[in-house]
Amino acid sequence: MTLKATFIGLTAAAAMAAPAFAEYPDRTIELTIPAGAGGGTDTSARKLALLLEEKLGTSIAILNVGGGGGSVGASQFMQAKPDGYALFATWNSPLTTVPQVQDVAYSLDSFTPIASTSETAYTLCVKADFPVTTGADFLAELEANPGKYTYGNDGIGGTMQLAAERIFQAKGIDAVAIPFGGAGETLQNFLGGHVDIYGGSISTVLPYVESGEAKCPIVTSAADVPALEGASGLEALGLADKETLLWRAILGPKDMDPAVVEMLANVIDEAVNDPSYVEFLATKGEVPNVVKGDALGARLQSEYDALAEVSKALGL
Amino acid sequence: MEFYTNALSHVLSFGPLTAMIGATLLGVFIGALPGLNPVMAIALLLPLTYSMDPLVALAMVAGIYNGSMYGGAIPAILLRIPGTPASIATTFDGFPMADRGEASKALKIACWSSAIGGIASAIALMTMGPMLARVTLFFGPAEYFWIAIFGMASVAVMVGSDPVKGIMAAVLGLLIGTIGIDNLSGQARFTFGQTWLLGGLDLIVVLVGLYALPPVLQLAEKCDLKGLSAAQLKLADVPFKKGEIRGLIPTWLRASGIGIGVGILPGAGGNIAAFLSYNAAKNASDDPSSFGKGNPQGVAAAECGNNADNAASMIPALALGIPGNVVAALVLSALTIHGLQPGPQLFHQNPTLVGGFMMEMLITSVLIFALGGAVATRVFAQFQRLPGVLLVPTILILMCVGVYVINGRAIDLWVMLAAGFAGYFLEKVNFPLAPVILGMILGPMAEQSVRRALLISRGDMTELVTRPISAVLAAVTVLVIVWPLVKMVRRRRKPAEQ
Repeated sequence: MTLKATFIGLTAAAAMAAPAFAEYPDRTIELTIPAGAGGGTDTSARKLALLLEEKLGTSIAILNVGGGGGSVGASQFMQAKPDGYALFATWNSPLTTVPQVQDVAYSLDSFTPIASTSETAYTLCVKADFPVTTGADFLAELEANPGKYTYGNDGIGGTMQLAAERIFQAKGIDAVAIPFGGAGETLQNFLGGHVDIYGGSISTVLPYVESGEAKCPIVTSAADVPALEGASGLEALGLADKETLLWRAILGPKDMDPAVVEMLANVIDEAVNDPSYVEFLATKGEVPNVVKGDALGARLQSEYDALAEVSKALGL
Repeated sequence: MEFYTNALSHVLSFGPLTAMIGATLLGVFIGALPGLNPVMAIALLLPLTYSMDPLVALAMVAGIYNGSMYGGAIPAILLRIPGTPASIATTFDGFPMADRGEASKALKIACWSSAIGGIASAIALMTMGPMLARVTLFFGPAEYFWIAIFGMASVAVMVGSDPVKGIMAAVLGLLIGTIGIDNLSGQARFTFGQTWLLGGLDLIVVLVGLYALPPVLQLAEKCDLKGLSAAQLKLADVPFKKGEIRGLIPTWLRASGIGIGVGILPGAGGNIAAFLSYNAAKNASDDPSSFGKGNPQGVAAAECGNNADNAASMIPALALGIPGNVVAALVLSALTIHGLQPGPQLFHQNPTLVGGFMMEMLITSVLIFALGGAVATRVFAQFQRLPGVLLVPTILILMCVGVYVINGRAIDLWVMLAAGFAGYFLEKVNFPLAPVILGMILGPMAEQSVRRALLISRGDMTELVTRPISAVLAAVTVLVIVWPLVKMVRRRRKPAEQ
């Protein structure tokens, strides 16, 4: 498309005009996002890309490749050259959850972990007139009424559903999962009373908690979340090991130069902790959490293993 | 009222105003070029605006969105190639009008209808936004199922002379719609191990192939080496007959209402709005058989309907924080980047910005009156003069570029080519193409909704018709199917009585 061509042309020209003292990066970096434009991952990545452009002194072209819960973008990206000019901004689900339910061509080894950026918990919320309010009572109510309540989630076998099912399995709870296309659609059906429980990201439901229309008994992080007063973290419920988070990271294709990885990880660390980015994250209920290189690889692997256990139990 | 006068003073300053004019023009071009679409343009432009005044950024969104919905009508009328999915219905009567030398008139009607639809929609957004947003919450999976079925029932009515072929075309669309990951079970269907099929076939890719390639091939068949001289270009103004414009008013009112109604429902879109408006106009007409043969009412209904969807689709996004389509999601993401939290508090949190954006949706609709007509007839209509040997490759290149940048992968070009040959073949054997696209859009919506509804009701089918809104929708669907039959029977009986 002409617009994009001009845009890339201009930025390429700008990159060429830059002095040649730094070897990397000396041209436009392409950042693949495995989700459509306008969603949470997209917005976070685009905002971060602005800061990275400044710090790296090069431009970043964004390519949205949605579909398949992120697996389409991940499969396409794994074939990129590991020269540092192809990066992948994703949330954890395409790497740790999707492979549990889909027969995907990639594995964790197909990527070079660079750095995680931010994280947030999922939450389960009910309408203000729901009989119970606290996290412990909420789980007891669900346990006492097997099959009575429906909860909306982001998609079958998605991280949100697995996050909820990990808790439910530990407590022997049977709730009916209703998969929707995303947190917005879940919210619509929750507000309209079509499902009893909202399951999804905090930022989407937050305005309705503030207005008193909804209350959230539980978050899926071990610790409490300051933005959601009254919601129990899992540690308080004795389920600290069932923590499941939504988090975001930047990766490269397999076999990247370790020096480039380290340099990028440090720049990402700086950008994520830039006050403007921290403030932006706060509006979405997210906090910065930078885990770099091999430590990030280990985090991905342990989450992958934990979720494999749940999805096996669910028969997915 | 103060809310809007205050916002208006901000909107009418230099930055937003130039952005609106520029973006509306740009939008018309984007809409007019097959393959390029507003979603792509807005997704590309929006990040560039993160550091700008948000009202300027939103002015650009409003301009591109409204401009492109009209722009799609230009190639639909002139070449029978819909510029966007929402302008398929415009080809039905727009192209026959152009074919008999009324291109200029058809473009005028499209321009006015787009502007009127956009204005009506913006007014609905400004006056009833939060209230209408609450209404959308009553629509659960069962209701969405009926909306999809209602849409499909309308297909049955519009297939023309040969219903069997129409239904076969719709089934083809339904089948294409099943490709990809099933959202309710997580299973991949009909992907044959191909990763690129997991997301299903992209609507725009199929649309460009199916709809743009056959007319291009037909142009190529003509082997036209010379093109038209200025005098041969049949743009002569066919004057409006007395009362003809007044006759369009009921169509505009109906189409605006339908467009707004479809627009406020998250997940439905301009293409459905245009089809339903077209269909309603046909059903209301005294002479339904004149539709599809160049009836100005058809152009008016389709174009008014697809623009009326625009501002209305922002209602659930702005008032509830629930984006109904990608453009609304992009607007929400722009607001978040500027530090605003979408949701019920947005109107109080930043009235200048929200009010301003609504004013911009209104003003850019008005701008279509001024800019649309001139651009369409003075610039785009001249393309018709290009000799076929130039026009054919030009359109082909535009199509390929447009399709490639959607996902940045070459395989989509092959999908487009395959869809194009399928479309060419289907046209040769007189299959209507519109039901294919509608099947692709509505099939997944119907399937997912009914399965969700049954999950919620624990498998109880009666809940599909016992909820108040779903019962009404079911009844209306039956009516849409039966009404044309009743009319037909009555018409046949009349001559018999004489």
